Amino acid sequence: MNPLALIFKEITHRKANALLSLLAITIAVALVVIFFSVSQGTQREQAKILSDMNASTDGISQSTQKKTKRIQRDMGQNLRIVSEETDLAHFWDEGFSKVTFPEDWLQQFTNVTKQINYSHLSAILKWKIDWRGSPAMVYGLAPREVAPPGREKPIMITPVKRGTIQLGKTLSEIHKVKRDDVVKVENGKFQVDRVLAEKGSGAEIRIYMHLADAQSVLNREGLINEIQALDCYCADESQDTLTLLREQLAPILPKAKVFRMQDMAEAREQQRRLMEAQLGEAMPKVINDAIESQTSNLEKTFTKMLPVMVFLCGLSVAALAMLNTRDRRQEIGIFRALGHGGLHIAMLFLGKAVAIGIAGAIIGYIIGGYITLNFGQELFALTKAQLKWEPSLLIEALWLAPAFAALATFIPAMLAVVQDPADTLRHD
Amino acid sequence: MITCKQVTKCFGDVTALSPFDLNLIKGEFVVIKGASGSGKTTLLLALGGMLRPTEGEIKYKGDNLYQLSPSELGNYRSNEIGFVFQMFHLVPYLNVEENVQLAIPNDNQRNQSHRLLDQFGLSKRLTHTPSELSAGERQRVALARALVNQPEIILADEPTGNLDPENDQQVFKHLSDYHKKGGTVVVVTHGSTADEFADKIVSLKAGQ
Repeated sequence: MNPLALIFKEITHRKANALLSLLAITIAVALVVIFFSVSQGTQREQAKILSDMNASTDGISQSTQKKTKRIQRDMGQNLRIVSEETDLAHFWDEGFSKVTFPEDWLQQFTNVTKQINYSHLSAILKWKIDWRGSPAMVYGLAPREVAPPGREKPIMITPVKRGTIQLGKTLSEIHKVKRDDVVKVENGKFQVDRVLAEKGSGAEIRIYMHLADAQSVLNREGLINEIQALDCYCADESQDTLTLLREQLAPILPKAKVFRMQDMAEAREQQRRLMEAQLGEAMPKVINDAIESQTSNLEKTFTKMLPVMVFLCGLSVAALAMLNTRDRRQEIGIFRALGHGGLHIAMLFLGKAVAIGIAGAIIGYIIGGYITLNFGQELFALTKAQLKWEPSLLIEALWLAPAFAALATFIPAMLAVVQDPADTLRHD
Repeated sequence: MITCKQVTKCFGDVTALSPFDLNLIKGEFVVIKGASGSGKTTLLLALGGMLRPTEGEIKYKGDNLYQLSPSELGNYRSNEIGFVFQMFHLVPYLNVEENVQLAIPNDNQRNQSHRLLDQFGLSKRLTHTPSELSAGERQRVALARALVNQPEIILADEPTGNLDPENDQQVFKHLSDYHKKGGTVVVVTHGSTADEFADKIVSLKAGQ
């Protein structure tokens, strides 16, 4: 008689034993399916969180960098290049150099071949004058910046149109000058294009104008007395930036001297470094720590619970198989009396285990998947989109569960095989 | 056909069968009688290749049974022997037809099982399970299962021990029919119904 038919008839005959075995296998498979579904869902969730956070961090980073650049631009250039013949005591006292030099010195920066840390170079001619009985600083500003090769960037300065001026707030208040007024500066007439907001600095008494206008009213055509620039961020924190800048300037403008407005430069650098540290390291670390903590908690719970539960299920299957072997002692005896061999007897028990294992794999997969999909959100704090049926788990369950059931049934099956049939039949 | 020489079987300190000789000739109807515990069932199981004697040898057609390989011994039980037990030992989850077919190694003998069941008056009970049958019917199913392979020998252990006189007669009539066709029958019993069919009666007293 076909052993498969025998197995199924026995299963339907001893329903309770088969159902309890099926229940144990189903529980084991469902737990494993839940664990791996949740684990894979968690991985997807974490990948999504990381991706979202990276996108968000990039957004924040770009926005912050833009804002930082704007703030730094508003702070102005922090490098001042003047002639080496400048009377520095006068320069620091009055805020300008009386020594002028040709405007085309600036063009030297366009020919540099080595990497330099200068950018946003602009030509300036500034001179203190007496304007309407009070001191004022004519501040001639070239409309364009010069950039060394590879450092071309949008200009930082606010150009002034020819024939117009921009007045410092204090000057405008002292002399009651307002926008659109036409005023005389030295021998030139200019329309007030703008009155600047209160700056609380030397800018309060400045008269900003086009460089060419300043050269004209100050009778210094083609001359400037200062180049202002911005030092590029120096990645190596240990490096002395000013020494580096001076070393770089020497071959370009041997007759010039550079000063760095240290406080402003340092504030700028510190802000940049802080921002990069926050966005580049601190935030991802916080996110990673949070994710690792979540994964660790989940794994701790499951790695402790899962083996115990699976072992208990295996033990139940083995105990039920043992009971089944005892129940079938006479049956085994009669099979032996009819000439059936040990292999046939083992096949009946192991085949039953495999059949129950297959059924348990399918039912356990369905139940495990259902629990994960319907309760995974509340139980494991995962988003629904990350919880899905994992067909690969069904394939694995379909060979692992029968193997697990057969393994648990192995000892009872072997006891059935070695059982002495005469012992049963003799005592009936 | 079967020769027992000084066969002894002990279970621990208990001697179930003292040195015992028997020569079973083909076509004989042998009745083994004795009180409970006299070693009747032990002898029957030993003849059926189910219980290795502690001492002595049992030869079937010249071969020592207990020197055969497990598969050869399986073939001996499957093809040469038909067992009938007092408690019937039918498989509870198989119906009448399936219980008989358990003894058939291949489907060629299906007709034989139907013929036997018909002969034993069970053709209307084919799909019934043992729990739905009377004791007499169960024993007839067990008898059909023993005979379906047309074995050389039927070993019957108290085949009518649980049956009423009418069924008792019926079972022995079927065994007698098999014997008349040349079959060899060894019946263990302490009743007297078998006596009238017996060619040889062997009495066992406390394993001797």
